[in-house]
Amino acid sequence: MSRRPPRGEYIETDTGNKVARKATLVGTQNIMLGGKTVIQQEVMIRGDLARSVQSSSSGGTPASNTAVAIGRYCFLSRGCCLRPPGRLYKGSFTYMPLRINDHVFVGPGSVIQAASIGSHVHIGAKVVIGEFAIIKDYVRILDGSVVPANMVIPSFSIVAGQPARVIGEVPEGGHETFELRDLYKTVGNNLPPAPS
Amino acid sequence: MSSSSKRHSILPPVSAGPRPPVQFSSPLTIAESAVLTGSHTISISSESVIHPRARLDSLGGRITIGRRCIVHERSTVGAIGTEGPAKGADKAEGVTLGDYVTVEVAAAIEAGGTLIGEGTTVGVSVKVGAGAVVGRYCTLTPHTVVVAGEVIPDFTVIYSNGMRRTDRRGVTELRNKGQTRQIEVLRRMIPTNPAKFQT
Repeated sequence: MSRRPPRGEYIETDTGNKVARKATLVGTQNIMLGGKTVIQQEVMIRGDLARSVQSSSSGGTPASNTAVAIGRYCFLSRGCCLRPPGRLYKGSFTYMPLRINDHVFVGPGSVIQAASIGSHVHIGAKVVIGEFAIIKDYVRILDGSVVPANMVIPSFSIVAGQPARVIGEVPEGGHETFELRDLYKTVGNNLPPAPS
Repeated sequence: MSSSSKRHSILPPVSAGPRPPVQFSSPLTIAESAVLTGSHTISISSESVIHPRARLDSLGGRITIGRRCIVHERSTVGAIGTEGPAKGADKAEGVTLGDYVTVEVAAAIEAGGTLIGEGTTVGVSVKVGAGAVVGRYCTLTPHTVVVAGEVIPDFTVIYSNGMRRTDRRGVTELRNKGQTRQIEVLRRMIPTNPAKFQT
């Protein structure tokens, strides 16, 4: 007999993010979630690897230290790992921010070290995205791909292989499958009963 | 359950195994959430970095980590493999990492006389079998599998599901320099607590 209501699997924030209690978020002050993002169990996000060298062009504006920025309706499946990429910049090592736009699906067990990921990107299971890869909008990355470091993937590509190559294009009208709003509704604590 | 306002983690307690004897040389960066377990000695030389949630398991033998190594999160050094230790391998030696070795995210290095040479990069989700000997300045690209007992010569690059070539760029000095710079930055970023592991 518990006096308190049972604690759900997810923590739901005001902006609609659903973060699993068993997710490991390191350096949460440097992680930005856009809202309505799902973070499943055993996901690891390395927010502590923030930028240590500021670019000189930013001038007098206060330095934003965001290490990982995630847009709306993203879905991070179980066991994936997001970490900002790092490299030598002007003679000293620095991490650079990892930016993910809206409606990005990351499959289970994937490791993401990209510089930027566009909107409506589908990343399969056990994918490795190398450091400073740039992925544009509407890209589908198939399971087990290894995207090499610094690769730029154009919009509407289908990518697979080890190392990954563009193997096709998203067919016309196929971009509707990238919508993640319905998937967002399937996880959480107080789910409506499944329609029978 | 206590009704205190402190939020208790529902994660299982990290100390799942026996506490191993450790030998640390300072300066050393080891995150508090790294997991050190096993019965043999784990020795880590100076200026190495162990990321949070990295797992060092010395149940299958002694683990020796050289100078200026980086062990990334979720990797396992000294996993007990399915096939057991290789024949003829010294059972007391689990895993030996040379100097300047990088073990990337989710890589697994099995115990049983496994040797990783100086300056080698073990890529994301690589499996290195028990008793394998990887030479100096090798690059194992993501998802590579090195079977138990395999010997890989120096400067080998393994890529694309087992293709091999020799790295003739001669950039070992630069590579070491880059690693040193990276460690300098990581040392400032990762809160270190070696005392937690020393008994």
